[in-house]
Amino acid sequence: MGGVPFPVDMLARRVFLRGMAGSLGSMAVSHLLRQQGTARGDEPVGNASPTPGASFGRAKSVICLFQHGGPSQMDLFDPKPLLTRYDGQPYPGGDLEAHFDQQKGNCLGSPYKFAKYGGCGMDLCELLPHTGAIADEICLVRSMKTESVDHEAALRLIHTGKFLAGMPVWGSWVLYALGSENENLPAYVVLSDPGGLPVDGERNWSSGWLPAQFQGTTFRSGANPVLNLTTPSGISGAARRRQLDFLKQINTGHLNRHPHSSELAARLTQFETAARMQTAVPEVLDLSSETESTRKLYGLDEPATQEYGTRCLLARRLVERGVRFVQLYLSGQPWDTHSKNAESLKGLCRRTDQSSAALVRDLKQRGLLDSTIVIWTGEFGRLPISQGKDGRDHNRHGFSLWLAGGGFRRGHVHGATDEFGYAATQDIVNVHDLHATLLHALGLDHRRLTLPHDGREASLTDVDVTGAQRVDALLG
Amino acid sequence: MKHRSIISRPVAGPTLAAMVLAIAGEVVATRAAESPSWNADVAPLLKRHCVKCHGPAKAESRLDLATASGLLRGGEHGSVVAPHDPDSSRLWLRVRENEMPPDEPLGAAERDLLRRWISEGAPGMQQAGTSGEHWAFQALDAPRRGPRYSPSDSTSQVPPSVFSAFRDPLDESIASRLRERGLVLAEPASEQTLTRRLSLNLLGIPPPLDEVEVDEVGQIPDGSERQVDRFLASPRYGERWGKYWLDAAGYSDSNGYFNADSDRPLAYRYRDYVIRSWNRDLGFDEFVRQQLAGDEIAGFVPGGEATPESIELLEATHYLRNGQDGSGESDGNPDEVRIDRYTALESSMQIVASSLLGLTIQCAKCHDHKFEPITQREYYQFQSILYPVFNIEQWQKPNDRFVLAPLAGQREEWQGRVDALSELARTKQSELTAWVRANRPRGESLFEATFDVADERLAEHWSNTAPGDDTPGGTPAVQLDVDARPGARIVDGQLWIMESGAAGDRWLCTRQSFDWTPARKDDVVEVTFDLIADTLPGGGTPAARIGYLIAAGDFHDQRDRPGGNILIDGNPGGSTAVHLDYPGADARSVGEIGAAGYRSGRNYGLRITNLGDDKFRLEHLVDGMVDGKNMTLSSADLPDGAFAWEYCCDRSFVIDNLRIELLPGRAATEAEPDEFIRELKAMREATDRIVQERDALTRNPPGKIYWASDMHPEPPTVHWLERGNYAARKDPVEPMMPAALSDFTRPFTVAVRGPETRTSLRRLALADWMTATGSKAASLLARVQVNRIWQYHFGEGLVATADNLGLSGAPPTHPELLDRLAAQLQSDQWSVKRLQRRIVLSATYRQSSAADRLSLERDPDGRLLSRFPLHRLDAESIRDALLAASGELDTRMFGSYVPTSRDAAGEVVVPENATGARRRSIYLYQRRTQVLSLLAIFDAPSLVFNSVSRPRSTMPLQALSLLNAEFVANRARALAVDLTTPNPLESASERPVDDPQRIAIAYRRTLGRPPRTEELDAARLFLREQAGYYPESSTGVVQALADLCQSLMASNEFLYVE
Repeated sequence: MGGVPFPVDMLARRVFLRGMAGSLGSMAVSHLLRQQGTARGDEPVGNASPTPGASFGRAKSVICLFQHGGPSQMDLFDPKPLLTRYDGQPYPGGDLEAHFDQQKGNCLGSPYKFAKYGGCGMDLCELLPHTGAIADEICLVRSMKTESVDHEAALRLIHTGKFLAGMPVWGSWVLYALGSENENLPAYVVLSDPGGLPVDGERNWSSGWLPAQFQGTTFRSGANPVLNLTTPSGISGAARRRQLDFLKQINTGHLNRHPHSSELAARLTQFETAARMQTAVPEVLDLSSETESTRKLYGLDEPATQEYGTRCLLARRLVERGVRFVQLYLSGQPWDTHSKNAESLKGLCRRTDQSSAALVRDLKQRGLLDSTIVIWTGEFGRLPISQGKDGRDHNRHGFSLWLAGGGFRRGHVHGATDEFGYAATQDIVNVHDLHATLLHALGLDHRRLTLPHDGREASLTDVDVTGAQRVDALLG
Repeated sequence: MKHRSIISRPVAGPTLAAMVLAIAGEVVATRAAESPSWNADVAPLLKRHCVKCHGPAKAESRLDLATASGLLRGGEHGSVVAPHDPDSSRLWLRVRENEMPPDEPLGAAERDLLRRWISEGAPGMQQAGTSGEHWAFQALDAPRRGPRYSPSDSTSQVPPSVFSAFRDPLDESIASRLRERGLVLAEPASEQTLTRRLSLNLLGIPPPLDEVEVDEVGQIPDGSERQVDRFLASPRYGERWGKYWLDAAGYSDSNGYFNADSDRPLAYRYRDYVIRSWNRDLGFDEFVRQQLAGDEIAGFVPGGEATPESIELLEATHYLRNGQDGSGESDGNPDEVRIDRYTALESSMQIVASSLLGLTIQCAKCHDHKFEPITQREYYQFQSILYPVFNIEQWQKPNDRFVLAPLAGQREEWQGRVDALSELARTKQSELTAWVRANRPRGESLFEATFDVADERLAEHWSNTAPGDDTPGGTPAVQLDVDARPGARIVDGQLWIMESGAAGDRWLCTRQSFDWTPARKDDVVEVTFDLIADTLPGGGTPAARIGYLIAAGDFHDQRDRPGGNILIDGNPGGSTAVHLDYPGADARSVGEIGAAGYRSGRNYGLRITNLGDDKFRLEHLVDGMVDGKNMTLSSADLPDGAFAWEYCCDRSFVIDNLRIELLPGRAATEAEPDEFIRELKAMREATDRIVQERDALTRNPPGKIYWASDMHPEPPTVHWLERGNYAARKDPVEPMMPAALSDFTRPFTVAVRGPETRTSLRRLALADWMTATGSKAASLLARVQVNRIWQYHFGEGLVATADNLGLSGAPPTHPELLDRLAAQLQSDQWSVKRLQRRIVLSATYRQSSAADRLSLERDPDGRLLSRFPLHRLDAESIRDALLAASGELDTRMFGSYVPTSRDAAGEVVVPENATGARRRSIYLYQRRTQVLSLLAIFDAPSLVFNSVSRPRSTMPLQALSLLNAEFVANRARALAVDLTTPNPLESASERPVDDPQRIAIAYRRTLGRPPRTEELDAARLFLREQAGYYPESSTGVVQALADLCQSLMASNEFLYVE
């Protein structure tokens, strides 16, 4: 069903657009038209002079492997020999911004070895052998920067581009612009950790002031993966069928009295869609059709990787079925290594490295990688100095992330931090630039993807305020 | 296609057209080439001779002749120029009579110029007076004050003979725009439809059954003005319309910002204030004034007594603190903390600007606003008005920002209860302690100090030098038995520990050493003492810690002694820290024991039990009972040594009855509590309950209100910040509101503060400025409010962007109508109910939502109102309507919110069996990060700043929740049960499963109308078939009916207002 625009969805979206605000309608229609177009990536939204580049609009879907807490870049992605030499000595580079600035210690070198991986010779930590094995597929950004050393604020910045809570996340913007390709599944799915919600909870996938339909829908483990998905016990399939028929009869009668309302028509058919969703969701969650080798690839046979691996595999199954946006979260904020930094990283990498890499390999072998962006990131990085004995505090001035597929460059390292790994110094990419680039890869111009809100044209990148710039160097 | 009644659709005649023109105030003047010009001639003339007194600076007689708009508006005696009629123009008359200008009369040419300009229609005045200004920023004619709304006032505003089917002048405004497109108003909706529309719209729930019933027998006359008045008088009205205001004001029960999203436990008082104010139709101007400056209006002085009126005023100020405020949880570096604080201030500013002025201001924080006439400087001038409430340098965390405003006598009554409980607690505690003393199992006494022996001297048994030291510890050391800075002494049979210096740790040691490792397994050593008081008699700071040592050897840490010197650091807040080898560099914390805090009047201590294998359990004792956590030590940790009191730094306290005892084999009885332990436990629980009750009451003094008020009487200096950078302070700014919204005649003026004034009076100035009827600001305020009200009646405002009436907002569809309603709101003493009555009684409101081809073609989105716009209920109304239809709606009003919780599946719900689970949605916990799932799925917002309009989405997850959510299923079932519950007056005979009467009631309860014939047939068929799916015949009827009810509740007709 992929790629076919759905009239029902369109109708509903049009009605919503009218429901919002007068000036919104015409604005958003351009997105809708773009979605209706048969060719993807033919033209950026409303952009008169497109600057496509080879990758423009190649991506159709996004999988975000979100690593809550702030993974330590100098221990994982960004080797700093000089820092190792200074281990235990006062930091020579002057003042550092920390979250807990009373607890600043001396330089803390990474105890882990780095090695060159892949044909591209990407330097990665020994804790990430599987990521190393896909080095030639990924684009590693070592020069990320954000604007807060506070978890919540930084989480919002990378999810919504804004400090304050309650704004639409980028998944919602993408969904708003591109719509759904499979109406029997939610278009924006969150695979949350069975262990619990991440820090800042549902705000990480909230549509904010955008309508609820652009919100991420959580798939939970267990019998009831989506809220209210299952028919209550005691109501047989036949009874429910009969009830749906009766409801349709009532609604049809009502619609006949209001034949002009496309919104009523849309709502009428959505009971049928909901019923189809009741089978489509369990189908996608059922892994029995996956081969033994696939299961092994994701580490489903190992206790350490089984849980996270299952969700990575689900992510692939979802984009395979036309889901637009998938996000994985870890419970709490495991990468927040304020103490026992090095020790904690072992377990975290053990848990996530294999399956994250497996996802990229699997997408590639199924021909889905070109149309899927995989992004592995946290909300900020960590400091080159110690906090307490063996921890690292938050760092907004430099962190690393990697991207794969969807038109991003392969086997490429972008940017650099200073010799201690504190601040991005070369080819700096801030979170707004990242957003602009991601939207571009999805065929969207961040300057045009706007909506009137709070009296102004709101957007993900808010370019007038942030000066966000697309980073073409990340794209292949 | 239904037949259209000709009678209901009059074509406007000339009379009507003329009236419209007059209403719209469009006076069009032609301008001859040789006429004097406003710009070239008249404006300079007035500037030369008049503006010194009648200009921006002085505006005598409230007249500003510096601009065309000022001239147009006139002064305190009314208009000064009557176009075409110099002899009726005050401006000309005063000049002609040489009264003005007072000292230097105009020359003949100038006089002639002025007279000719007026004779020729004052060309340019109108255009210059209005064109330069954004429509929404123009002052509306200062209206005369009309009567307030009262329900008995049901006179039509317009004689029927003039407007025929038009019921209100507003209809003509709508109709004239429709005429331009060749459209007319749709025919009136049916009475049933109207009743349901009015009820859902005004009350947020389907019509009460009696309204529907009365309707059916035709007793409600056309127009049903009495019905409208009944609805407007219903308490449900304030719950519906108050909620809209709460959204605009950004109300929430949580602080937001951080993940914690901590609670605002008393915010509900503001919510209740809003509901009450809407129900009693408090004038909107007064409503605004109270929220901006209730504390300054009330003049309440903290510490004093309040009146019911002043309490309302203080509650109202919570409006200013509705924004997100994470400062209670800030834990970052100083820059982050400052950001967190400024965010609270800026959120408050944004809510004020958005909800009252319909303006976006936040852009001007860093630079002059690109779209609106607001400079960066003006942003900080505005900030300086609210800054005293959110003084960044003298910050109060949100939960500390309260005032106690008890009514007369409340405080005394409360104090009396606290005192009585305290007294009772003391009695109980001393009984308990005495009982413990008398009944506790006695061991072999190793040491006992009752400090009761007359003339006892400390030095006999105590020392300031540890057994292993040669010199006293501490600087200075504890002075024994001396009067000057004694450190410790025996007074009235008790031991006073008297902190007498901040430097150094000092000990008061027993001269005797003890064996802290009882010899055999299960042997016990206990040390216990009564804590008489945590302060010395006569006052002082309560002790921060009650510190004592066991196995004390050498203070100076000179000997190589492993272990010993075990400091027990008793914490009044609970949990007791244990340090080994204290003090010195090798001192180490080994964790905590116990749980209870150190409080006066109780007996505390330690128990050391030999567990065998060189293990010794260290337990905390409270009133003879083991308390909380324990830890295990070795004999190396517990060398022989003294018992000692440790004190320095805020550690003055009084103790008595120190005992050190050996209880051989005592531990063996612990597994099975003996009589002593059982009785002790019961006594202690009884005592604890009283203490807890006392503490809870103490924490809740009467009259606690979360208010907003200046933190400091002295107004702070506020600076503008370069590029919005909090660290880049520039020049100070004075409180002021943006020039584009200000009249020279009604300037923003802060009153002079008296010596007793405890606030800056800046917010009072803001309140006065914003509500000065007829001023630019008040006119904007009225437009914003009228537009919002209109939006919630018709689904969309006259200005589509309800959050923005500024230059960058959408233009109004009916500008003259918006202005007229805004002027009327002011002249109706800002009565919103009167405005709403006008709207809902209009033909525009009462037209059908059915659309014909022409209407669809020429008014596709219904913005011109060629039909009543069909729109979906908002989230709260859906939930409330479900409860009302099922007959379960709990109409209790006010009070603390009904908690919500996240269930095992992750759904945010109110558990069905929770108290208040069936109350209206407005009373549920409005937590930013925990919006009730059912509401969230129907677009209830998680608030950032505020919400003045809601999106309305349509998605399959809504269908899923209507079909499968427990809440919906339960409502359907409740209605079904209600329908099948036998009426005692009816015959007991079993009714058939497809009983038409039940179906009819189900339809009326859910859709507010009886079923049509074909609907009845379909429903009967459905019931018969559906019952077949439920084999249990006894419950099958109810289940089939429940399925019917749920279908009706999930239907479009239920979810939409027609």
